[in-house]
Amino acid sequence: MSGPSRSATGDETIPFTFDGNTYHARPGDTLAAALLANGVGLVGRSFKYHRPRGIMTAGIEEPNALVTVGTGGRTEPNTRATDVFVYPGMVAKSQNRWPSLSFDVASIFGLAAPALGAGFYYKTFFGPAKHWMLYEGFIRRAAGLGNAPTEADPDNFSHKAGFCDVLVVGAGPAGLKAALAAAEAGKRVMLVEQDAVPGGSLLRDPDPAIDPAAMIARIKALGGEVLLRTTASGYWDHNFLTLTQRLVEPGAVPPHGFAQRLWHVRAGRVILATGLIERPVPFANNDHPGVMLSQAVRSYVRRWGVLPGKRVVIATNNDDAYLTAEALVAAGAEVVALLDARAPGSGPTAPAGVQVFYDAKPAKVIGRKHALRKVTAVIGGSEHSFDADLIAVSGGFVPVAHLHMQAGGKLTWNEAAQAFIPGETPQACETVGAALNPPSAPAIAPAGKAKTSFVDFQNDVSLADIDLAWQEGYRSVEHLKRYTTLGMATDQGKTSNMVALSRLAEKQHVTVPEAGLTTFRPPFTPVTMGLMAGAGARNAGAHVRRIPLHSLHEAHDPIWQPLGYWFRPRAYPVNGESLQQAALREARTVRTVAGLSDVSTLGKFEVSGPDAAALLELVCATTVGKLAVGRGRYTFMCREDGFVNDDGTVWRLAENRYLLTSSTGGADRMAHFISYVRNSLRPDLKCSVVNVQEHYAGIALAGPQARAILASLIGAEPPRHMGYAPGVLAGVPVHVLAASYSGERAFEIHVEATHAAPVWQAIEHATRAAGGAPYGLEAMELLRIEKGHVVVGGEVDGRSTPHDLGLGGMLNKAGGFIGAAGLTRPALSAPDRNNLVGLVSLDGPIPEGGMLIQRAGQSPQGHVTAAARRILEGGAIALALLQGGHKRHGEELIVTSPTRGEKARVRVTAPHFYDAAGERYRD
Amino acid sequence: MLPAAPLHALEIWSNPQAVATRIEKALGFALPVMNRSAGNDAITLLRYEPTVWLVEGDVAVIADTLGDDGALTAIGGGIVRMRLAGPHWRDLLLEGGFFDTSAAAFPAGATAATVIDHVGVRLWAESDDACIAYVPASYALSLHHFWDEALPLLGA
Repeated sequence: MSGPSRSATGDETIPFTFDGNTYHARPGDTLAAALLANGVGLVGRSFKYHRPRGIMTAGIEEPNALVTVGTGGRTEPNTRATDVFVYPGMVAKSQNRWPSLSFDVASIFGLAAPALGAGFYYKTFFGPAKHWMLYEGFIRRAAGLGNAPTEADPDNFSHKAGFCDVLVVGAGPAGLKAALAAAEAGKRVMLVEQDAVPGGSLLRDPDPAIDPAAMIARIKALGGEVLLRTTASGYWDHNFLTLTQRLVEPGAVPPHGFAQRLWHVRAGRVILATGLIERPVPFANNDHPGVMLSQAVRSYVRRWGVLPGKRVVIATNNDDAYLTAEALVAAGAEVVALLDARAPGSGPTAPAGVQVFYDAKPAKVIGRKHALRKVTAVIGGSEHSFDADLIAVSGGFVPVAHLHMQAGGKLTWNEAAQAFIPGETPQACETVGAALNPPSAPAIAPAGKAKTSFVDFQNDVSLADIDLAWQEGYRSVEHLKRYTTLGMATDQGKTSNMVALSRLAEKQHVTVPEAGLTTFRPPFTPVTMGLMAGAGARNAGAHVRRIPLHSLHEAHDPIWQPLGYWFRPRAYPVNGESLQQAALREARTVRTVAGLSDVSTLGKFEVSGPDAAALLELVCATTVGKLAVGRGRYTFMCREDGFVNDDGTVWRLAENRYLLTSSTGGADRMAHFISYVRNSLRPDLKCSVVNVQEHYAGIALAGPQARAILASLIGAEPPRHMGYAPGVLAGVPVHVLAASYSGERAFEIHVEATHAAPVWQAIEHATRAAGGAPYGLEAMELLRIEKGHVVVGGEVDGRSTPHDLGLGGMLNKAGGFIGAAGLTRPALSAPDRNNLVGLVSLDGPIPEGGMLIQRAGQSPQGHVTAAARRILEGGAIALALLQGGHKRHGEELIVTSPTRGEKARVRVTAPHFYDAAGERYRD
Repeated sequence: MLPAAPLHALEIWSNPQAVATRIEKALGFALPVMNRSAGNDAITLLRYEPTVWLVEGDVAVIADTLGDDGALTAIGGGIVRMRLAGPHWRDLLLEGGFFDTSAAAFPAGATAATVIDHVGVRLWAESDDACIAYVPASYALSLHHFWDEALPLLGA
């Protein structure tokens, strides 16, 4: 019997499935080790040609053995079988095959490989853009990796900050030594290791003088933090690194609810002990199951007790592979040949019974399903064949310099090792260990057919593809990469870059450094989307902001409206009403009786001090200084360029104390703006600005009965329109601001949020007793459109000046406010600017967002910002921004929304459809 | 979560040395420096900004002392206080956090204005065993839930 195997010891206690077949693993097995132990050598199909692929490595660099692990929302595609540890009940599946891994219909593409070389897509799929829609579907089905899960991930993902004096990446011998030295020197140490156990190369080549477990214990005892299953995936500026930590294996149910953690680490100094990656050797069919890297073979033998093959050929250009021969022989395998590409006598002494062939390299392999059958080699210029089920190859070593390069470090060329090693770095970072001293390994001229001598295994890029790109004029390594897709797969070319560069250099007749090198960018290994999203993977990416009266509203089962991060009642349907029915009823109640609404989310700023008015006259574009105590006025704020930034009201609560309100959506923006004005522009002013948005809950009471209702509650006559008065309502001190957004006599009652509930309850009780009801945002929208009040985000869209909105007459004529200079620019007074207008429909409903045109085929002259119906009379109305709109009242236009297939004829009017004289405000 | 408490923002805009002297004389302790706290049983002052303190407790004495050199503004309605207590509170603050909560960097008595999972919070290391978080009321339930979910990760 040939192929991978492992002798049973009774420790095979962990059941798992692969493609529906149940197997058993030992504790500590990677999926790759467990599959090989169970005789499974074929684990996947290649990206383009659907060629059979096996396990090539024993680490994160694995290009072939990509599997899907887990089920439902925990499904994780494209996971390296070499980087996932088996747990009870693990479900793993192969990818990119149909109907089965053994019989994959799409493997027929392999026969067409000569026609599917580099640049195939560019040469084939061209023509009109719409054709790509056809191509894309076909390509996506034929090529690719695993499928993304269709269900939501049920797990949490943690984002955590970390701080240390020294961060050591890699817990191999050099990393352990560095971390321990730093810890013993009193430094705050973090040691991260992507494996589940520390040791690195010691797990493959134990050293009795180094005890990883004891060193880890010592580091921890000295206060160091050791993170296993943690990969340093990104190295950014100022020694900021991101680490990805597996809290449980992919697809496993986390006992604490968290699957992974993304660390944000600030390190004083970084030590990279990231080791080496072994380089494959190009030869014909070098991608077949049974072709493995030499050190990987040694790892499977020594760490996991797995024998990847029984009759083994070893091919190398360095001494390290001789250790693999020793391990295999010790494990009972037969090493039928050791092919050393170097001159006779170059390598160390081979184990007894192992025949070494010098000037020898593999040219071709022939395989069966899970293993090889025959290896053909070129020895001294002539071909020799060996019956073998495994070939262990070593083409030299590549230092893992990815993090060093991400840190902005330079690379230097090591001719003896044919590898780039870390050089200078601009950050407090150094590389130690094997990555600095790769073993000597001379270049090997490939033997075998170039078309099936694979370089980038994941993207099916062969030597022939590189040659073709060269022939077609792609000289730059960056162009080569993009034309062939070399190094662009999920492994980012970890096993392919240097082999490809060598080929490119050979073609160019230059050295490898002269040929160039592509840039290593984060992440070092793939990172799941859920981990990047963190807690934001749920709740639409942010915490929900809860209004103070949330619970009281909830009792009425309203329709909730997300508004920024807030949720506010949109309407309070009763008796099965639709949203529209409820909103119209609520709006009519406000017009005829009274309604109350929660306006707690309004921006609110308390400005105190002798210079408070001076600050406000800088922030607000209207006059403020002349306000009498107990009075308020509508105001708006401009950006430096003169465009309206936000609007609200300003109230003089006391001699040196004002309250400024702004829109909900603009509250945070205003907070920044006012802080900038106060602290940067006028730090000299004797005043204080405090954001009291959340300190006060706000309740709007509006309608013809509002004054009477409020009077009964506060036991006094409420202030007249735009007046302010303190009061006590339901035993709670309140601020009463007589302001109206609805067009009715109305008040805002602001109360300390922690005491807002009894105030709302009292107002609601009194309002309902009068025949009124609560109203939500939808009714508020109907009311304000009919009244012609602008809203930030609608008519105030960042491109509107006060003049555009009909607010020019309110500007502080003395100037001096922010935006005053910007407004003097002639372009802002151009006659064809978009002006705020009203629209009255001449036929059906007006499509919101529709374009305004005079006739079909004409370019839009404006757009509808908000559409509604008249609340009491019926008929469609809208607000719009129209070119030169102020002078176009009476004109008939067409509102069209081609995307929705809607259209309406409208007449342009002033933007006030209800009580234009403002008589309803007055008692 | 702790019961609502009277909280005020204290800003001093002029004559800072004179005001500091007057307040120290009135309260019996000096105004804390940046990122530090000071107080007694009746009142605690936490400094987060160069000219602004968060004051917890009865502000009558300060109000009488300020004159025209500063102002007190009530903010307690918009802030929920939470006490994070136990051996893991420093570790908990690293979840979704951005600043070093180690005892060396954030000792007892220290204050910080920072962000936890995108929510702006103010922190006061009340002692080695507990920290008070001043959280915007609108985010309080959500952030409480966030911390509650993270606790099992800490072995708490």
